[in-house]
Amino acid sequence: MTPSRPGTCAVLLLAVMAAQASEGVKLRVLQSIDADEKGSGLKQPQGVASDGTSLLVVADTGNRRLLRYTIAGDRVTPAGEVRLNEIPYPIKVQVGLKGEILALDGKSRRIARISPTGEFKGYVQLSGDGPAGASVPRSFAIDREGSLFVLDIFQARVIVLSPEGRPQRQIVFPRDAGFLSDLAVDGAGTVFAIDSVGRRVYAAKRTDALLAPLTGAMKEDLAFPTAIAVDGQGRIYIADQNEGGIVILGADGSFRGRQSGMGWKEGQLREPTGVCAGIAGTIFVADRDNNRVQLFAVTE
Amino acid sequence: MGLRKGALVVLLAAALPAAAVAAVAPPADTFHLKAGARGALCLSCHTDFQDTVKRPFVHTPVKSGACTVCHDPHASSHGKLLAENAGAICASCHGRLVPEKARSVHAPVAAGQCVRCHDPHASKNRANLIAAGNDLCATCHAGTAKSASEVKFKHPPAEKNCLGCHDPHASAKSEFLLRKEVPALCADCHRTDQPVFAKQHMNYPVAKARCTSCHDPHGSNTGGVLWATIHPPVINKMCNQCHQEASSPGALGLKKIGFELCRGCHSALVNDALSKNRLHWPAVDRVGCLNCHNPHASAQKALLKVPTKLLCGRCHADTIARQEKSVAKHQPIDEGNCVACHSPHASDNVFLLKGPNVVGLCGTCHNWKEHSSHPIGERAIDPRNKNLALDCLSCHRSHGSPFKSFASFDTTADLCLQCHQNVRR
Repeated sequence: MTPSRPGTCAVLLLAVMAAQASEGVKLRVLQSIDADEKGSGLKQPQGVASDGTSLLVVADTGNRRLLRYTIAGDRVTPAGEVRLNEIPYPIKVQVGLKGEILALDGKSRRIARISPTGEFKGYVQLSGDGPAGASVPRSFAIDREGSLFVLDIFQARVIVLSPEGRPQRQIVFPRDAGFLSDLAVDGAGTVFAIDSVGRRVYAAKRTDALLAPLTGAMKEDLAFPTAIAVDGQGRIYIADQNEGGIVILGADGSFRGRQSGMGWKEGQLREPTGVCAGIAGTIFVADRDNNRVQLFAVTE
Repeated sequence: MGLRKGALVVLLAAALPAAAVAAVAPPADTFHLKAGARGALCLSCHTDFQDTVKRPFVHTPVKSGACTVCHDPHASSHGKLLAENAGAICASCHGRLVPEKARSVHAPVAAGQCVRCHDPHASKNRANLIAAGNDLCATCHAGTAKSASEVKFKHPPAEKNCLGCHDPHASAKSEFLLRKEVPALCADCHRTDQPVFAKQHMNYPVAKARCTSCHDPHGSNTGGVLWATIHPPVINKMCNQCHQEASSPGALGLKKIGFELCRGCHSALVNDALSKNRLHWPAVDRVGCLNCHNPHASAQKALLKVPTKLLCGRCHADTIARQEKSVAKHQPIDEGNCVACHSPHASDNVFLLKGPNVVGLCGTCHNWKEHSSHPIGERAIDPRNKNLALDCLSCHRSHGSPFKSFASFDTTADLCLQCHQNVRR
């Protein structure tokens, strides 16, 4: 059963391809964003969001405000702040259709809608299928059609709302999940959720009613993950809060690398609590305990 | 001396016929021993075994003089010239003690440390146990044994016979080595179909509920053998404060889910938590307060499910593991006093810290002015990052690190050169 020469070549080729794939994805820091347009420093920023073209929004949590930045190429410049009494402690942000900003307030645990010009437009109603008020949003995401996906930990479900805010459906948490902290939605409408305690990723396709494991428990690669994002290529980024790293997975959950590490220097992270895709080939990370957001280039 | 040896040889010779009926087959004669050499030859030197083999319960290989079942007479990589590691040797004959799908395995069994309970040669106790009855269990489980014998309301099996409820090796049916799942185990002795049972439980259908959510199976100082800390509605027999009425079809169902149920009585605590910037998120998930607290009774203060370190470690395993691996131990964590620094329900500060200022918080235990003259505080800007002020966490990791003094870096030079680049040589 000696392999033929072409067979041997095929095996070798596969081995080379596997080796290339295992080299994985790398992150290279491009810029640290640590101040507003007046030069005032960020304080414990927890959330980041981008429209993928020119807008970056930061939940500058410790300063109780949102900050807007303009993205041009691989440079980011301040573009003003949004400070609203209705959002005293923003912890998560997303950019909706037509430049609308949505922010989850940690204190009131409500999601606020903010116009592109910075006016408060109201809170998202989350009555869903449960009794009034019986929802606690831990995080949320928006897909490319503008639908809203809310991680409701009180009812152990993801509530899907239309762009206008009407309940569409819900996706139930798995019974054996540890604690789901964040979610992301890809271009195909697949929902990904990160389990901080179980250290695994769950996923649900557009028609699924239940989140199912996408990965096993990644105990060797993740300490306490709390944020997840997905980019246009389907790569999944997970912020490992307690050990200051970013783990990258393929769309199928395959491990593609762990980047950065705990530290103070540029490119290092301390308690990263938010991650989002920027323009093609970049991601932003809310580097909370370094009081900054970092922009990384993604390379294969 | 020669006489003594002779007597032993006679004794062993007398014992040898027993080998013919022994359950354990004699070993293959790997060592090509002369006839009569087996066992007797060993005892010609190991004379101290004379008393051992006189004990009432002798391990079958010893009884049959088959010392080479366990020992290599020439050389070994294992202590006491054992032919293999101890656990593997025992398993070669007693391999079926652990069920294939065991739900719990006794730690010494899992570790192959059979000799923690059994004397491999002989004993005055049945099954070659090194001590009799509960005294054996008490060698490791001293606290439980002491409590079981001293409490006011005793559970007789716990006081007299641990093996009444526990399998000493493993259980395929339950956690904690229990011979059956609770409540089936309890129902072996306690009749749940009697009117008195229903009356004692306020007519709630608890026959299939988990008895140990209220009762301490090892005895208690509280009537009804309830756990030491009891939720007031339980002791006041006001089950319907949380559960549906006993007469309703879903009597054990809760009136509300999550924190909304507890809020009815603990409104001040819950409202205070909900007013903070940061919540301990599990407190507001579907399980809510019951993620950490038992609703009925507990051995822990504040009705905690298990001791604090264990409880916090269920979710924050990485944090506890870091401390366990750490060269230095942070005393509050070691003592399971996580709440020395963290507010378990909510806080206005990151990490649910009790105070906004790290230096101030650490200063409640550590006098940093005596500790170091290094500038720290709001006005001391971190040279690595102008957005950061220097505080204790600029150099230390509070939950431990692989380096001394919880340092974030291996050597003092590595640590100091993070900022003091100008003195690098």
